[in-house]
Amino acid sequence: MAKTKTRILVVDDNPTIRKGLGVRLRANDYEVLFAEDAISATAALVVEKPDLVILDLGLPGGDGFVVMERLQRNDRLSSIPVIVLTGRELAGNRDRALQSGATAFFQKPVEDSTLLFAIKKALDLSRGELRFDQ
Amino acid sequence: MTTPPQPSSNLSAYLSHELRNALACIHQFGNILLEGLAGELTGEQREYVGIMLQNSSKIRSVLDGALDGVPGRPEKSTNKIERISKLET
Repeated sequence: MAKTKTRILVVDDNPTIRKGLGVRLRANDYEVLFAEDAISATAALVVEKPDLVILDLGLPGGDGFVVMERLQRNDRLSSIPVIVLTGRELAGNRDRALQSGATAFFQKPVEDSTLLFAIKKALDLSRGELRFDQ
Repeated sequence: MTTPPQPSSNLSAYLSHELRNALACIHQFGNILLEGLAGELTGEQREYVGIMLQNSSKIRSVLDGALDGVPGRPEKSTNKIERISKLET
């Protein structure tokens, strides 16, 4: 039986960013889903239940904090790790994102190796595969 | 691109959003080209893409300092995955 790929939902209103992340993640053997606003992101979370979300903060239809709030309120979805990747300033956004349940916060542009490392760690943590000494 | 805001208090938020997104696109696709994900490059092409990426990194450092008060950051930054570090301990 074919191994099921890990599915990552990329939420960003910039189509070029979505495309670039799609190329990068597929090259690293992830299946990639896309959403371009907070409403379609919420719908994709409920319907697709991805393994991880890469979330921009500045989105049409409600920002990334709204998406995280909806995620946290849903017992079926609250365990999905969220990595925030944003063009917003650090002040007022990083701490709020981490307090809202984000696993990691990065400003654009982020090094590919750094993002891929964070994805792997976040997935390991959510699956309970990471030991305390790792 | 959205219309630039008039009040100066919103200027850095506007610049951060617009410049970081544009820079992220240059950075992403430059690395995609350099790694051959869109086909192999010649040595000369690799050199030119490398120059482009080096200069995008310089702009990023300037942005970090000007907009967020971060005096440049290393190529492989780990300073923003503190939540993961917290969960590990």
